[in-house]
Amino acid sequence: MIVQARYLYSVVRSGSQENLGNIGIQESEVYTIPFHDLAAVVHSCEAQPYDTRDRRQAEEWVLEHSYVIDQATAKYGTVLPFSFDVLLKGDDAAVRDWLCRGYLHLNSELYRLNDCAEYSIQIYYDYHLLAEDLMKTNPELAQLRIKIDQQPKGRAYLQKRQFEMQLREQVLGLARKTADGLFSQIEKRCREIRVEKGSSSKKERFKDKEHLVSFVCLFTDEEMEEIGDLLEDVDSDPGFSVRFTGPWAPFSFVRLEAE
Amino acid sequence: MNPERESCLVEVLDRLLNRGVILNADLIITVAGVPLIGLNLRAALASMETMLQYGVMDSWDRRSRDSFTSSEVSPPLQEGEHIILKSFGYVWQNWASTGNWIPGSWYLTSRRLLLWRKSPGEAVFEISLERIQILKVVEAPERERSELDLLYSGGVARIYVSDLEEFRSELYQALASARALVS
Repeated sequence: MIVQARYLYSVVRSGSQENLGNIGIQESEVYTIPFHDLAAVVHSCEAQPYDTRDRRQAEEWVLEHSYVIDQATAKYGTVLPFSFDVLLKGDDAAVRDWLCRGYLHLNSELYRLNDCAEYSIQIYYDYHLLAEDLMKTNPELAQLRIKIDQQPKGRAYLQKRQFEMQLREQVLGLARKTADGLFSQIEKRCREIRVEKGSSSKKERFKDKEHLVSFVCLFTDEEMEEIGDLLEDVDSDPGFSVRFTGPWAPFSFVRLEAE
Repeated sequence: MNPERESCLVEVLDRLLNRGVILNADLIITVAGVPLIGLNLRAALASMETMLQYGVMDSWDRRSRDSFTSSEVSPPLQEGEHIILKSFGYVWQNWASTGNWIPGSWYLTSRRLLLWRKSPGEAVFEISLERIQILKVVEAPERERSELDLLYSGGVARIYVSDLEEFRSELYQALASARALVS
């Protein structure tokens, strides 16, 4: 016997049942199941997760899921986005029942995130450029460098290593100061901001630069301009580069994980 | 400066696989009582970003690995219980805040999953298979490896196993048969 399920894309602010067309995973027909003023965006399927060992296929499904979230956001405003492959066993009534039970929580979360979108900010720095700048502005460092070059070879080697370590520390200090400054400036202007651990893949245009820090933040369209200007300031410094992506549904800020 | 959305595949994947809403475990569809969340797919995509460098560990790790695997001292088994798989690995303690990785030997038996430390001969982490609700492979790019989240009634544990792929599939099967016995 085939067990029915509903694949969940997002929860949106809508009180009506609507058909969004065949825009889902593998061209599934996507529609909304409302409860009061909330609705789940779903497609109907068998109670089997979408699973494959084929990377291309997996990417395609994930992008299709992402597309539905974007379409729902364009139509209904900020959504509560679901992870890939979350299925609810049962029919539309089971989804409505779930919405009913989670209503208070879902409603307050949608209210909290209303009008906001998520953005990622990655900051890179050019070590050599910052080091050169530092040598120019700090005559003591430049002097030390000349002194070392005049030493006998053996001693010069050790001192050179020490000098390089010192320089690296100062460059990193300088870079961190810029990042800290940017963080607190953005913090004042956005709803939420977090430092992200690790860095995602490096784009070709940043290949000569080192990753400094990544932030993920939540803000509205009105707050965008000022934040964009702050990022522009950092990006226009030749020692730094900024990658700014979004808007995303609030994947990193929605708080509805397994209770 | 304006944000971009072009060529952000990696970020889309990260968001859809590692973030966003997941449901209360009992609502996710299950087969033989075991939640399925597209684990092959996660593995397929995981290799895209981080090379899965199993067995590449620093010298401290290698020393601990040797000392754990050379020992024959293993956990006491209950009657009728048998070992399915043994592998070197870690469990993360208090992984939500600060914490540390505790090394040991993972034992997957027909009834339990436990991390055994030869010295002083105790299980640092132990759980019966029936209590495990969700297995989720997660990427840890900062450590250049994949790890496994176990959601179980009462908590979450982050673990690392040196042969994650084999371990995961064995654990998966063990969970299915443990559930079948119960139901």
